[in-house]
This record gives sequence, C-alpha cells and structure tokens, in this order.
Amino acid sequence: MKKSFAVFLKRNLAFANLAIVTNLEYRLNYFIDAFVQPILTTGIEVLLWIAVFKGAQSETIAGFAKDSYLSYALWSAFFARIATSWMYEARMIEEVSSGSINSIIVRPMTFYEYYLSQFMGYKIITTLLSLTVPLVAAWYFDLPTIYSRIPLALLLCFYFLILVHTISFIISTFAFHYTKISSITAAKNLLFWILMGELFPLDLLPEPYKTIFITAPFASGTFVPVGYIIGRVEIDTVYTGFISVTISLIVLNLLGAYLWRKGLDSYVGTGA
Amino acid sequence: MIKNLKKYFSLYGAMFKASVIADLEYRANFFTRIATDILWYIAQIMTFEVLYQHTERIGDWDKYQMRVFLGLLFIIDALYMIVIHENLENITEKVRKGDLDLLLAKPVNSQFMLTLQKANTAIFGNLILALSWFFYALTGLPDFNYERLLWMLILIPCSLAVIYSIRFMFSATAVIFTRSENLQFLWWQIYKLGMRPDSMYTPYIKFAVLTVLPVGVIVSVPARALLNPPELSYLLWPLVLAPILIYGTHRFWNYALKFYSSASS
Amino acid sequence: MALYSVKTMKYVIETQDLTRVYKSYQKPEGLKNSIKGIWERKYDTKVALDKTTIKIESGKIIGLVGANGAGKTTLLKILSGLVVPSSGSATVLGYKPWERNNEYLRQMSILLGQKNQLWWDISPVDSYALLARIYDLNVAKTRQRVDELATMLDCKHVLNTQLRRLSLGERMKMEIIGALLHEPRILFLDEPTIGLDIVAQENIRNFLSNYVKEKGPTVILTSHYMDDIATLADSLLLISKGNIVYQGTVDEFTNNTNSELAHDEKVDFEEVIRRFLETESRVR
Repeated sequence: MKKSFAVFLKRNLAFANLAIVTNLEYRLNYFIDAFVQPILTTGIEVLLWIAVFKGAQSETIAGFAKDSYLSYALWSAFFARIATSWMYEARMIEEVSSGSINSIIVRPMTFYEYYLSQFMGYKIITTLLSLTVPLVAAWYFDLPTIYSRIPLALLLCFYFLILVHTISFIISTFAFHYTKISSITAAKNLLFWILMGELFPLDLLPEPYKTIFITAPFASGTFVPVGYIIGRVEIDTVYTGFISVTISLIVLNLLGAYLWRKGLDSYVGTGA
Repeated sequence: MIKNLKKYFSLYGAMFKASVIADLEYRANFFTRIATDILWYIAQIMTFEVLYQHTERIGDWDKYQMRVFLGLLFIIDALYMIVIHENLENITEKVRKGDLDLLLAKPVNSQFMLTLQKANTAIFGNLILALSWFFYALTGLPDFNYERLLWMLILIPCSLAVIYSIRFMFSATAVIFTRSENLQFLWWQIYKLGMRPDSMYTPYIKFAVLTVLPVGVIVSVPARALLNPPELSYLLWPLVLAPILIYGTHRFWNYALKFYSSASS
Repeated sequence: MALYSVKTMKYVIETQDLTRVYKSYQKPEGLKNSIKGIWERKYDTKVALDKTTIKIESGKIIGLVGANGAGKTTLLKILSGLVVPSSGSATVLGYKPWERNNEYLRQMSILLGQKNQLWWDISPVDSYALLARIYDLNVAKTRQRVDELATMLDCKHVLNTQLRRLSLGERMKMEIIGALLHEPRILFLDEPTIGLDIVAQENIRNFLSNYVKEKGPTVILTSHYMDDIATLADSLLLISKGNIVYQGTVDEFTNNTNSELAHDEKVDFEEVIRRFLETESRVR
C-alpha cells in the first residue's frame, strides 16, 4: 500500500515536472499567461469601476468604498485566471476525440491523474510567479488587503481547482460521443466567471440570487478567497466554501467516473 | 482589375457554399453554438443590469442605452464569428501541422484564402438572437429615429474590418513564433476593451482605444451613431481607419511569410 | 514573367549552389536548465541543403532518394516556392519559385503525401469545384477531366462521398486527381504512396506512369518505397546530408554501385539503395 502510494506520488510529480518544463520552453507565451493577461484584466475592470463610481451618487456601493472595489478588481483578475482551465481542458478533449488516449490507457496511470498533476503543477508555479503582481500593486497603491489571509485564500482556490479539473474531465468524456466539444470550453469559462464573481462581487446581486451564488461551489474560485483577502467576507463564508466544494467534488467525481466508464465502453479505437 | 474582383467574389461564393455543405454535417453544432453564445449574452447583460442597480449612468449612457450598445456588440460579434473567426483561430493549427503549405502553393492571394476560406454558418442562429435583443432594446428608447439605422450599413463593415485587422495581426504571429496559444487569449482581453463604451474610459485611454489600438471603434462608434447627437468626426473616422488597417495586414502578412519555415514532414 | 518560352526550354528546373540552413533551439534536460532557458538559449544550425546544383530536363520523372532528413523535402519545398533558400539560386519554368508568382503556381502542383488539400467534410467533387475556381478552370472541362482521371484511377464510385468517410487509399486517389486538375507542367510528389496497401500502390504507380506518358509533365518524386522509384523514375537523384551524391539513370546507378561494392551476384535496385543508405547512416 505504502509502496504503491510512493509510486503514485513519484509518477505524478513527474507529470507536474513535465508540465512546468514544457511550458517554460515557450517563453513568450508563458510571460503572457502569467503576467500580461492578469494585468490587462485588472486594468479593464478597474476602468469599469472608476466609471461606475463616477456615475453613482454616493461614495459607497453596497457599503464598500471605491478602493475596496479596485482592490477586488485587482485580486479577482488574478484569482480568476488561476481558477480557469483553458489549455489543459482543450488537451484533454483533443486526446479523447482524436483517439490518442490509446497511448495513455495502455499504461498504468489514469487519464484523470495524468492531467490533474500536470494542471496543478502548472498552476502552482504560475501562481508563485504571478503572485508578485497583485502583491506589489496592492502595496504600492495602498489597496485594502489583509496579507495574512492570503495563504488560506489560496488554499481554497487550489482546492477549487480540483473541482475545475473534474469538470474538465467530465467534459472530455463527452468527446467520446460528440464531435467539436471544444466549443464548450469558452462558454463554460464565461459562465464560471460570472458564477465565481470575476465580473462583479457576488454580494451585489439582489436576494435570493446573492445567497445562492455565494453558497455555490463556484464562488470559492474568486469571490470568497478575494473577498476574504480584502475584508469583504469573513471566515465562516470560507468554511462554507470548503464544504461546498467538497460536496461537489464527491458528486462530480462519481459522475465523472461513471461517464468515463460509459465512454470507454462505447469507445471505438479511432486512429492510433 | 475588375476581372480579378469578379474572380474573388465568385471564389468567395463557392467557399461559402462549401462551408454551408460542410456545416450541415454537424447539425448538433448549430444548437450548441446558440446555447453557448446565449451564456455569453447573459453574462454581458447581467453585468450591466447588476451595476445599474447601484448607479444611474456608466459613461454617457443609462441602462436603456447600454442595452442598445450591447445589442450592437452582439450583432457585430456574430457577423465576425460567421465570416472571419474560424479562419483566424485555425492559423496556429495550420502552421503547426504544415497545412499552410498547401495554401501557399495555390495561385490565389494567400491572405484572402486564409481569412475567408471557411464561413461558420452555424452562427446564423446567434445572429438572429442578437438582432432580436437589439430591436427589443431599441423599443426601450424614447423617440428613436429609425433612419439612423442607415449608418449601420457603412459603419458595421468598417467595424468588421477593424476586428479583422487587429485579430489578424495577432494570429499571423503564429507564422513567426509557431506556438502562440496565449497570444490568442491576449487578443480576447484586448477585444474586451472594445466591449465597453468608449465614453466610460479616462481621456488618455479613450484616445488609445480609438486610435492606437482601435478596438473602441468596433462597437462604440456605431452605437454613438444611434444614441448620441451626430458628431461627424467620430462617425467618419472608421471610414478612414479601416482601409489603413487592412493595408497594414497585407504588409504584415508579407513580412510574416518571410519567417515561415514550413514544418517538416 | 517567364524569361523564355517553355517549349524551347531544355531544362525546366535549374539550381545553382542552392543552400538552406535551419536554426533550432537546443533544449537542455531537466527543470533547472529549463528555467535557465528563459534568458539564455543555445541554438543549433542544421544545413538541410548544402550548395546543391542540379539540372532537370522537361518531361522526365526524377526519383529523389535519400535517408530521412537528407534534404529531399527541403529541396521539393524550395522548388515549389514554399521555402526561401538561405543562399544560391533556382529557376523552375523560368520563375524564381519563392516569389510565388501566380503564373508559376498555375503550372505547378505539389502533393504532400501525408497532408490533405481537399476539404475534409465535403465530397471530392465539391472540393474540385472550389479548386476549379482557384485555378480559373472552365467548369465543364474540369468535370470532364475529373471523370477521365477517376476512370483511370478506378475511383468514380466514391467521388460523391465525403472525404472523411473514404479509406486512405481512396483519399490518396482523390488528392491525386485534385493535384492534376489544372494540368500542371511540373508535379512535385512527396511520398504519394505512403501508408497504402500493395494493391493501391501498384494502382497509383500504373496511373502515374500512364499519365506522364500521355501528358508529359516533369515530375519529381520522393518515396521510401523503392518499387515506386524503380518502376517510374527515368533518372535518379540521390541526396545525402544535403548534398546530391548521384545524378543519372537507375540502371547506371545499380550497375556502378554494384561493382563498387565488389559484389558478384546481380543485385536489384532496392537492395543497392538499401546498402547505400546503410553506409550513409553509418557515416553520420
């Protein structure tokens, strides 16, 4: 039992390593993904909030001042980008639909594991590198940020990432039965951005939507961790987030396992 | 010259027809495209509806005017998706697989083929949805002069030319750098800048999105033609900008091809 | 603009010291070096084609043979205008290929064995209709031509089936028809029979042989199947590490090399090539 766990761990660390190495090879792309994108997103959102406050009649919106929203825009751009899967989901779908999973399923590792490790490896190193941007910006512009809360917030976000991966996994099982599944990714990510609170803080929604959105697991991708960091949300909401994600993980992993089995069964080995 | 134009028109007609035939193969795709774009429309609409709960104006416009702006955004985006998008998305893939070779070996303008080869006719459903929202939004405007819609006949093609030019510059870098998935995502961020009204931005940025990185021209200018009292300098600007940008893509494409090293077989 | 009439051209393809060099990033092993690679990179230069000088006569089928990476495809791609040479010169039908003059492209055709030029989701005839417009061909004549070629290749029954539903052999035949629609004067065939079964290979070989006899284009053919070369090629061009090491007929080559390698038995062409390539790979 211990030995097979060690083997499991070693194997997955190798996958994570593989992901990091392959991605660093394309310097320009990596720089854009890790830095340029979130900076641009923050910029766009900040502009929106400045305009909103200009048109508003008061100094605060829903009880928070402009600075709080700017801080939210900064941190949410960063967190939302971590919590989104583009590249790896696309690869998983491509592998299933093109039939090149043949090379994976004949080896002693699972498709799920293979991509989870790569995905997490990539996200961890990207987070470490790009974390510098909001940290520096928040300090320089003196934006409301409670630095001591960042580790727990990151932990929640990474826990959420496992759920993101599970969803990607489920989507890739559709590729067993349907063609051109890849068009789902962009739309799904857009939907998630709203559900996570990337476009606006979820507590701006009127009830009952506000409660629904905040207790849903997606809020743990952005709104809850970011809200926690800037002091908009307190620890009990974070606990709710962990519970919510856990329940979803259980349900979706069961679903995923079932869909994978079903997909493999109907799988006709198309082109090796 | 005329003969050439005729040839390219008829070639486009043939490619469009082939696209319809190819797309009819994937009937399910029609519905998935509508479903996915509905989500996007909802995202955009919801953002502004929620924000307008807490403020009266964003930029120059109120809630009802913003809905018209969004309607225009949806229409222009749908047109772009039908005619141009799929082709530019696939440039990276074509370069990687070496399919660009077969295109370059043909006696037709490679930029023309690369840009227009495949129309994504499944998006017609989205265009209809977009038009529906747009006209619904127009009914929310008091005393709207429907003659203003004539401006759309010149402004919308200009907007498409602008989207095309900027996106093309991004996509064509795939010929130089070979792998640029992330660069394409960068394009999406820049496009997002154009998805908000230019009046919302601070003066320097507003200037930038109308000139240097003219994504602001795409929707804001046609929207102004409908919602604001006429300002000719704004409305004629796209007519000047579009040809300059298209010429720029032509030069850039020729430049990029010099780097093309044709993937090994 | 062509420099002189094609009819009076003896050599349709001429190159002088044609060279092509590729730069590639030398990727080091491991994580540490990958991170280092963010700011410090070493490049490898590879000479794909080294001062190649050849002359090819009109109407001939030339077999281009060499090991993987020897420079065959690079030569083809330069001559078809897809790649710009690093130095040296080349003219095909009087044109500089990489200028991609439309007049030149109308007379040239390239078939890249592993790639499809036809649309995947529509039937071949629909693709041919598009090609006809691209090459400014008369629609009725094109239809006739498709019929002719399809009969020669015995594939008329699948002309209206979508490309993706056809077998590899059938697809290849469709690609060949597509490549010949505009009656090119120059044909570059890069591994046209790769991955096909023996019957399909023979089929295509016979077709090409008959087609060239009838229409007289100049053909450069690369293949790893020596039967292709032995049956079709009038002349042989052997390329090794970017250099042409032999220009002549197939028979001459077999006899010369045979005697050089000091063997008594009569050895066939395939065997001779195999030994040649083996020697080459040992020397690398």
